[in-house]
Amino acid sequence: MLDRIELMQGTLDLLILQVLQWGAQHGHGIGQAIRLRSQDALQVEHGSLYPALHRLERRGWLASDWRMSEANRRARYYKLTSKGRRQLLEEQSRWKQLVRAVASTMKPVKE
Amino acid sequence: MWRRFFRKPDADAEIEEEIEAHLEIEIKQLMDRGLTREQAQVEARRVFGNRGLVMETTREARRYAGLDRFRQDFRYAARVLRRAPAFTAAAVLSLALGIGATTAVFSIADTIFLRPLPYADAARLTWVAIQFPSASREFVPAPDYLAWRRDNLAFEALAAAQPNGSNIALLGGPEPAEVHVARVSANFPAAFGIALAEGRTFRPEEEFPNGPRVALLTDRFWRDHFRGRPNVAGAVISLDGQAYTIIGILPESFVYPGDVKVDLLTTLLIRPTASHRDRSVVMFAVFGRLKAGVTPAEGRADLDRLFAVSQTDAPQLFRGEERPVLRTLREYRAGNVRTLLFVLMGAAGCLLAIACANVANLLLARWSARSREFAVRAAIGAGRARLARQMFTEIAVLVAAGTVGAMIVATAALRGFVHFAAGELPRLSEVSTDLRVFGIALAISLATALTCGGIPVLRAGSVDPQSVLQHAGCGAAGGHGVMRRVLVAMEVALSVVLLSGSALLIQTLWHMQNDYLGFQPEHVLTVSIPLRGASFNGPARDRVAFDVLTLLGRIPGTVAATLTECTPVTGGIKSATFSRSDRTLPDPQHGGDPIGVCKVGPDYLKAAGTRLVEGRFFAAEDYHHPGSVAVINESAARAYFPGESPIGKEILGEGTGTWKTVVGVVGDTKNQGLNRPAAPEVFVNDTSPSFTQDLLILVRSLAAEGALARALRDGLRADHPGLFTKVETLDQTIGQMTASPRFNTALLSAFAAVAFLMSIVGVYGVLAFAVTERRGEIGIRIALGATPRAVLALVMKEGAVPASAGILAGVLGALFLTRYLTTLLYGVRATDPATYGIVGIGLAAVALAASFLPARRAAMVDPVVTLRHDG
Repeated sequence: MLDRIELMQGTLDLLILQVLQWGAQHGHGIGQAIRLRSQDALQVEHGSLYPALHRLERRGWLASDWRMSEANRRARYYKLTSKGRRQLLEEQSRWKQLVRAVASTMKPVKE
Repeated sequence: MWRRFFRKPDADAEIEEEIEAHLEIEIKQLMDRGLTREQAQVEARRVFGNRGLVMETTREARRYAGLDRFRQDFRYAARVLRRAPAFTAAAVLSLALGIGATTAVFSIADTIFLRPLPYADAARLTWVAIQFPSASREFVPAPDYLAWRRDNLAFEALAAAQPNGSNIALLGGPEPAEVHVARVSANFPAAFGIALAEGRTFRPEEEFPNGPRVALLTDRFWRDHFRGRPNVAGAVISLDGQAYTIIGILPESFVYPGDVKVDLLTTLLIRPTASHRDRSVVMFAVFGRLKAGVTPAEGRADLDRLFAVSQTDAPQLFRGEERPVLRTLREYRAGNVRTLLFVLMGAAGCLLAIACANVANLLLARWSARSREFAVRAAIGAGRARLARQMFTEIAVLVAAGTVGAMIVATAALRGFVHFAAGELPRLSEVSTDLRVFGIALAISLATALTCGGIPVLRAGSVDPQSVLQHAGCGAAGGHGVMRRVLVAMEVALSVVLLSGSALLIQTLWHMQNDYLGFQPEHVLTVSIPLRGASFNGPARDRVAFDVLTLLGRIPGTVAATLTECTPVTGGIKSATFSRSDRTLPDPQHGGDPIGVCKVGPDYLKAAGTRLVEGRFFAAEDYHHPGSVAVINESAARAYFPGESPIGKEILGEGTGTWKTVVGVVGDTKNQGLNRPAAPEVFVNDTSPSFTQDLLILVRSLAAEGALARALRDGLRADHPGLFTKVETLDQTIGQMTASPRFNTALLSAFAAVAFLMSIVGVYGVLAFAVTERRGEIGIRIALGATPRAVLALVMKEGAVPASAGILAGVLGALFLTRYLTTLLYGVRATDPATYGIVGIGLAAVALAASFLPARRAAMVDPVVTLRHDG
């Protein structure tokens, strides 16, 4: 298992959008999904997750409604809006650019 | 508003519920793994962390979603700026000084030149006068004033005032005090449209010489001396021993048009029968209110017509050089401070330009250095708009901090102005910070910051992050190098202008304070005792004078004390036409050669500490026949006795019939003030009063002025109660005389010093940045065999080019601009080559020093490190 990685600023938004592209999910589920998909490398603080969800909703990238959860209790489910979907694509391509760019600057160090 | 108010608890409840649901799910999952409900609850809470904090941050994310980005930008900007304290301090300080100084100076200029005067319908008020070039003064003789007031067509009113502004009078009472009284014609308040706060204005008969004596109080005087007591109208006060009835109080807004301190107004004594054929003609200062719809040009035409009549009536008075003058009151009030203000406005403008150049330079350098940061940020998802917004937030934070600083600078500068230049600038009491000027200065700096900050930002936004990151170190904005160098050259040029100007003024001040005064000002005091009213005629005055002199002689430390009409730095109050018995008399109709006349007692030479050049000074016996002998100064000897000895010659017999024998010549003193050469002057052995019964006594004493004043007051209390005495040192008088040049010099020097610092920071900043930017290139040069010396030369040359271009341009500009300083200079020419040489060389040396540090850093570059770093 890798050490835990601190999330870079702006990355959490990308991760949330990424998780939600497979369907509506509540906050607990989103956090768990990020953790599981990164093999426990990325641990999302709740203190960052919920503000981020609400912020993304305010920006119109997410929409939310109340549904029954597996715990037999009303929970707020978030899903991507079409605007959010576009944002996801854009952030994905930027992310790839960054990874490429950072990777290429790493080269000289490797020798 | 209401909706939000009601929704808030609602939204809170929702967040609460959301978190509750989160915990429930967690508990269920934990229980699925076999924990009991209690264990699961505890564990779920532990994993979740601080619930209150999550609530709080989430609520904030909701509530301020709109503000959130701004706040984030703001915090980021503040953090970034805090991390670069040198840059931030330099930029904020530049802005604060640039905007603040400009605002202060232009606020004053605006008040003096542009703001409406505080009189009703002030545009119609004018200054009306006849210009007498021989006396270089403007006034109106009483007969002409009366004729014009009667016969004019253009004016609603022509009001007169005493030409020297105001007089000091002695206010009677248990503790006598000096008050400033301005005498005006009865129609003066009406002409200026003054609505009295209380009481009535003057009646026409109150300006007749034998009319009732009445006075109008200024608001401040009323508050100080009557404690603002109502119904003072009708009360009687004593001025110079004469009773005056108070008839009213002027409004608080009242400002006397003549830049003198005024405590109360009373009437001029105007003889309705005054004529040009009278033995003596009184002069007035005249203000006119044009009729509604009459232009100043039409007023001038009317004045020309009136003056033509005056000229025919008195050809002996108006001999052809005199011209009638009509100026708007505003022009008159701006007066001779015009030069000073234009100089200050120019200096402030220069400072603002330098400040803007500096901020531009700093921003350009900084932005280029941060191009890599922008690329990274762009790469991790910040849009161009977002980046730009963030950068502009940074600029906004800078400018906001600069603005706060500027407010402080402007307020402090205005306070300083009012404090130090109260006597120098008219209408200063009306000055306040001009927010429009502040806004304009702010807009200029903001525009500069936005242009210089914005262009690279936008460019950075469009840069391909990959290429920047790969070629890290090359910088994305290297193209600003030329622009930065031009900015530095401009800064240096403007500094040269300001430094030259202030260097000239400093020399002026030096000359004024260090030129040989012609006497020893240390330990010289003047004692003035106003003696007003008929009770001091003749013998009474002599008795007071005798008592005072005796008393002064008894006070320990007194070396010499003498009655006099003049001091070594103020000259006499009387001027005569020079004449000598062995030459033809000057034509009485023509001015002739002027000479100042000062009646003094026998100890004058000793008290003043003036040098005796030839012959002797007066002895006690000379005073048996007052006015029989004379001592002239060297100027008079040079001018009127060239190539011969004046001793034994008889002078100034004209009119009086008694010729005065010259018995001695004394050294020149600066009797026209410190910034003018000595004028011919004659001392006469006479202590009788000339125009006033007041006593002026020159004392050389080793005692401190305070001790002497106290001893004098105590000693006089018994025999002469109610006598007012004022003791001043001559050093104080000289200090007052140099106050305004000191003020000019201090102000321009402050401007120059700040400008100098800013341009040095500019030179240093550009070079330091260039070195950082070119580290890779320098590394390669060194690797290829360049010596440190060669690198040093390379970098310093880079600084020398803009600096020397700036110095050259600055010296040329200064040569052109400082000619406007001429009237403020004394003892040094505006084109003094030494001044420009020193300023130029000095600035070059400092610029070189400023470029040495970065150059040395470049020379010490380790090629291995830099090449690797930039790989």
